Formats: sequence, structure tokens, C-alpha cells
Amino acid sequence: MLDTPRIPQPVLTELRAIAGPENLRLADGELAVYARDATPLFHGMPDAVVAPADTEQVARILRLATDRGIPVVPRGAGSNLCAGTVPLAGGIVLSTVRMSRMLEVAPQEMLARAQTGVTTQALNDAAAAHGLFYPPDPGSHTVSTIGGNVATCAGGLRGLKYGVTRNYVLGLTMALPTGEIIRTGGRLWKDVAGYDLTRLITGSEGTLGVITEVTVALLPQPSTSRTGLAYFDSLTQAGRAVASILAAGVIPSTLEFLDRRCMDAVEQYAHLGLHPDAGALLLFGDDGDEAAVARSFERIAAACADSGAIAVQTAGDITESEALLTARRCTLPALSRLGSLTILEDASVPRPRLAEMVERIDAIAARHRVTMATFGHAGDGNLHPTCVLESAEDTEGIARAERAFADVFRTAIELGGTITGEHGVGAAKLPYLEQRLGTEQMALLRRIKTAFDPAGILNPGKLGS
Amino acid sequence: MTDAKVSQAGSIFDPDLLGRCISCGFCLPACPTYALTGDEASSPRGRITLMRALDSGTLPPDDPTLAEQASFCLGCRACEPVCPAGVQYGELLEQWRGYQWTGRHRPLAVRFLIFAAERARVHRIAGRLRGAARTPASASGPSLMLGCFERSLFPGVSKSALALAPELAVPGRQGCCGALHAHNGEPERGRQLAEQLGAQLPGQIVTTSGGCAAYLAAVIGRDRVAELSEYLRDKPFGEVRIGDRRARVALQDSCHLRNGLGVWREPRALLAAIADYVELPDAGRCCGAAGTYALVRPRDSRRVLDPKLDQIEAAGIDYVVAVNPGCLRQLRQGLRRRKSKVRAVHIADLLRLAGADEPAGKPGHGTDTRVGPVP
Repeated sequence: MLDTPRIPQPVLTELRAIAGPENLRLADGELAVYARDATPLFHGMPDAVVAPADTEQVARILRLATDRGIPVVPRGAGSNLCAGTVPLAGGIVLSTVRMSRMLEVAPQEMLARAQTGVTTQALNDAAAAHGLFYPPDPGSHTVSTIGGNVATCAGGLRGLKYGVTRNYVLGLTMALPTGEIIRTGGRLWKDVAGYDLTRLITGSEGTLGVITEVTVALLPQPSTSRTGLAYFDSLTQAGRAVASILAAGVIPSTLEFLDRRCMDAVEQYAHLGLHPDAGALLLFGDDGDEAAVARSFERIAAACADSGAIAVQTAGDITESEALLTARRCTLPALSRLGSLTILEDASVPRPRLAEMVERIDAIAARHRVTMATFGHAGDGNLHPTCVLESAEDTEGIARAERAFADVFRTAIELGGTITGEHGVGAAKLPYLEQRLGTEQMALLRRIKTAFDPAGILNPGKLGS
Repeated sequence: MTDAKVSQAGSIFDPDLLGRCISCGFCLPACPTYALTGDEASSPRGRITLMRALDSGTLPPDDPTLAEQASFCLGCRACEPVCPAGVQYGELLEQWRGYQWTGRHRPLAVRFLIFAAERARVHRIAGRLRGAARTPASASGPSLMLGCFERSLFPGVSKSALALAPELAVPGRQGCCGALHAHNGEPERGRQLAEQLGAQLPGQIVTTSGGCAAYLAAVIGRDRVAELSEYLRDKPFGEVRIGDRRARVALQDSCHLRNGLGVWREPRALLAAIADYVELPDAGRCCGAAGTYALVRPRDSRRVLDPKLDQIEAAGIDYVVAVNPGCLRQLRQGLRRRKSKVRAVHIADLLRLAGADEPAGKPGHGTDTRVGPVP
């Protein structure tokens, strides 16, 4: 690879001219760190890393890449879990790190504008200064970028009540692979002029263009938010409790569950004093005015007790709530305490099938002799079964895990669900996408991709490939 | 001809430690050097990717990015408490530099400092000349550890510590804790020195340096080591006044004390008792002193320090308090360069200024000239 640089010198010269020489990286070591993201088992060495400063620079880089047929992989924080930012075909990694300015919070319109590289947390902090909040809160919100959130249509812990990223994106600025700059949507709550490109781009995983600026809707901060815990003998039982909570007409802001293995891993990291013997826990939360939250907590507690909860705790103050939520967000990394390779999936099923899906996952894990730890957004029917393996060298174990996940996907689809609820397709789930969409939709996806990216330079090997 | 070692795959790092990281990136916002560059290579996650490339032979040992990043890292370990996977980054960095910083690859300033730290007798004499604390050794009771460079740079600190805790034995014959060696490419020598010191000072070892405390505890056991504010936490104190009001003070954490030993509440509690305590927005973030860093990479060290000085000056405080001599030196020099009115002091000196709880007519209330820089 060293002997035949895949990016010709004149192109490098031009990249330097566009972004500034200090923002182009070419050394082996500098490139190696961009060969992966948070997804295990996927690697691809880029040939260059460039960090442009603004939309115009991005557009010029894309135009150049299209002319020369060089792959470009946009990258925010690289915290995605679908190998969406791994440069499998080499080429240019386009880092959005320098585009990290908050542009505006407009309280009277309840919206915010940010450059693509602003972290989700920073966006939320800016909103909070005006008594507002941005509801989608993916587990990685302290590090993930808003542009990355839009590109993957990130979910989070508040999805049940508040929805996911797509429910908040009002407008986008995007540089197309052919060098044009488009602005979709805007500051309007109602706008049906044209195809809804904002929604199409949301979740397009960097395959249609590079998002450079985002306008999102905000909501007023609720006056109270509380979190509580219920313990059960098994995850299946916790799944049944979820059904009965929702049947009671309560829509909590958060309804998460963890099996015993996940509880142990989280406890090791966060020392929360979780129940030592319970087989599963259900973390619930709600927000709003105090009386309404108190009422919904009563109903949740009652529904848990009726479903056979071993114990129900309602956290006292906000710091305790925050500790519980933080611990939940850290479940995946904490699981690596059990083994150095963790492969997680993201299947989602209709809510009434949740308990059944949990049971089927157990059976699949047993059949393929893999250690599976399961947690997830129970209220959304979104599960994260995670295979824990001793090491990345355990090729036989990895093969068993892959067979198990193929079964998990098949089962999810059979129950009316999907192969990924919120992490995205990326390179990791592309082989399973056709099972979910069918050949006609796959072909349509490719035609859409071609309309945006005729030279096929953007994020090859991912959606639309 | 080259003296670069040939990398033997998997021989440089403890595989269990290196295997822990899952590249989730949760460490990125905690890392001061990532904040400076926004470059993955200067983040903890990126550096672990580099360590893996070195370990597996994907990158040659003389790769310039490896050399640059092994040195650019502050070693502050702010990535450890935020890591849900429990990656022991500090340990990995020691192993990395143990491999990378050998022979002529070791920065000059590091060579000089290690050379100097090895001259135990010089420190003993310098400490005596400069008036650092000294008492006979104790067979079992708690002892005060004298930092190698603290003895001559800040001799008043150990005297204040002894005044605050007169029961401490302070023998002049005591060596270096080895942290300097361990963090700069000589992990074996560091361990050896820490063990020697543990033998020289039997019983509990009290230290006025957060960095020494963390390293010593890691080698000879947590239960044998107490940083000064930990040791004094239950003692009553008076207060520090400026004219007719309580002094306003802020703490700058010692990175290894906070991130390595988890000690950060104790100094805050003490300071809140003797003065009006103000929490700096980034009190827990590295000041850029980072052991040898201020000497090895002075420009980067200042880039890390500058926003902190802004915060200190904006906080409306009289004193910024350090719990580690390196941080004290860094803050003092930085504030002096800016001709700031804020004074940097060691916690031992400020506590001594506060005096005992009952007004026993102790000298020095409010105007101890040993505190803070000489104008």
C-alpha cells in the first residue's frame, strides 16, 4: 500500500489547498487510528484524513473526489456501532471535528442550529441555558456529534415518550458528492414543498452527502424527572411487566431493561448497590410536572408488582436518577469487563412480542453455545443482545456468534421486527438488509443512491451499495 | 544502523490490559490533548489503537506518530474514571514508554530529571540547606515522605505538614518514590524505588504530593499510603482571612490523586472548612505540569495551562490550592507570568495558615510570607 499511494499527488496538493496543510494527515500512524470506529471486527485503512472547516470546503473536497473517483467516508466522533465510518475501500476519511460551533438557540422558535461536529451533549447544554432540551439522548451523547446522530437517526433512552432523532430534525445543510450545497427544510414546523429530503437524509449513514449543519426542534425542559428500578427473576418477566405498564396507559420517558450479566458489569463500574440476586432489572423514568410524574410512578410501581417484581425502588433525588441513567448508558462498554470482545446487536420487535423475543434469544444463545448478555430499550421493543467472547482471536467463537446473530435477525423479522432499531446498517448489517427490505426496495435504495452520488464515492460498502 | 528494537508481537503490553478497550470513545471528552487537536491520534482511544499497532508489528517501533503520541500524552489518566470498560490507561502508558523511551529515544529533559532524582544524597543535603522538615526515623509510626524536588523547591511544604501533624516522623534518609521513573520509561526501576522507600519508611506513609501518593499506593499498597488531605481530613482547623472577610480559595486537583486514587473530596472538604471554597469549572482537568511534561513539552504544557489560568483569574479568588508540588510550580509560574493577584499555594501551607481550631495565639494568621510567591 505504501509503494502505490492510491491518492495521486496532485489530489493531495489540492486537498492541502482546500483544508490547509495542517488539516491533512497522511502518515501511517495518523491513518491507523481512523481505521476503525466503535464496532469490533471491522477495519479499513484510509489513505488520507482531512478535516475541513466549513460547508464550502466539504463541497470542494467531494467534488474533487467525484472527479477522481476516490472514496470519501464522513466521520463524526466515530462512536457508531455499525461500522458506518470504517473506510473499507480506503480513500479519504472526512472528519467533521473542526465544524463544531453552536450557531444559535432560538427560544421563541424552540429550535437550535449547530454545525455538524457539535456533540449531542454540547447541543443539549446550549438548549438547557434557555430552559429547553433536545430529547434524543443516545448512550454516547457525551461524545457523539449531532451530525452523526442525524446520519444514523440515533435513538436513546427517551425514545418511548419522545421519539428518536428523526422526530426533531427540522432542516439540514448538506454538501452533495457532486459538489452542490443543498439546504433542506428549515425553521418551519409545516413545510411540504417537495419530497421530504430531510427525512431521507436522516439515517442515510453518510451515503448520500455530507451533513454540515443541522437545525433541530427543542422542547421545554420538564420541571421534574424521576427514575426508579424494579427487579425481576428473569428478563422475560421484566418484558411482561413492560407490556402491562404500557397497557395501563402510561408512557414513561424511559423504560430500559438489563439482564443479570449486564447488571453485574454495570455494578462493577458504577457501584450503585443493585440487587445481588435478581435475574433482571427494569429501569423506568418519567418527567413532567410533579403531580403527573408521581401518578405515573404509582401506576408503574403497581404494574411491576402485579407482574411479579421482587422489589421496586424509586430513586430519591436527581443525582441518583442521573447515576442510574449514566450507568445504563455505559452498559455496553462495561460488558467488556466480562470478555475483551463484545459484539452487540440491535434487533427490534413490536412491543407485544418483547417477552417472546427475549425467550427466543436465550434459546438461540444456548443452541449456538455463546454467552449472550441482553439489555435494551424495553419500552421501544428494541433489544441489544450482546455476545461476550474472551478475545478477538477466538475465530471459532466469533463464527458461532455470527451464526447466532443471523438467527436473532431471522427471528426478529419473523416476529414483525427489524434487524436494527437504532444503531444503523453500516457495513455490519448490510448482508442482512435484503431480508428486511426485499429485493424491490433494495433496488430502489440503489437508484436513490445513484441519484445523489453518481460516481459512488460516498461511504462505499454501506447503504445503497 | 539503528538501535530501534525489533517488535516482538504481543511482548510489549500486558495483553489483558490492552484487550480491554472496545474503542467506544467515551474517553474523548475527558482528554486534554484531544481537546487541543481534535485528532483521533491524540485521544486515549487512538493511542490504544497505536499501542496495538506497535504490539502487533503493524507499525514499526520507530514510527514517528508512535514517538510523537507517546510523548504528547500528558499521562493525566483523566480517561480512566470515565471508562466504563475499566481500561487501565496509566499502566499501558508506562509499558508504552518503557518500550518507546529507551536509550537515545528518551527526551533529554527526562534523562536529566531521572539522573537528578537518582542523586538521593544531593536531595538530602539540599533539603537540609533549604530547611525542609527533618526528625528522627520512626520504627512503626506514620512518616512524612519528602519529595525529591519538593525538598529544595518548596522546603516550606514539609515544614507546614509537620506543623500540622507533629506526630509524623521525617527522616532525612529516604529515597525517591519512583513515580518519575515509572512514568518516563523505567517501570522496573520505579517499582524498585517504591519498594525501597516502603522499606525505609515502615508503617503509614503520608505525602504532600498527589502524584507520589498514587504511584506509591499502586506498588506498596493503598492502605500504607495517605495523601496529606486524606490524613488530616478529621482534624479541626481555624480559618484563613483576608482583612475582615474569609479568603476565597479554589482547588486544582492533582490528576493522579483524583484519577488514580479517587481522592478529591478530602481536600475540598478541608478548604471549605477554612475558607470560602469556589469550584473551578475544570478543577479536575490537568494543569499541564504532568510530571516531566512541563519540561519536555513546554509549549504544549502552556497550551493546556492557559484556559485554566483564565478560569482562575475569572473566579475572583485569593488562592488557588495545589496538592502536588509539580502543579504548584506550574500554577505559580503561570500566574506570575500574567502578573496575577491570585496566589498559588500548597494545601499544607494554607492549612497551616488557618491554624488550629481554637484560637491558641498561633502566629501567622493571614499574613504568612512563606505562602505564595514572593512579590
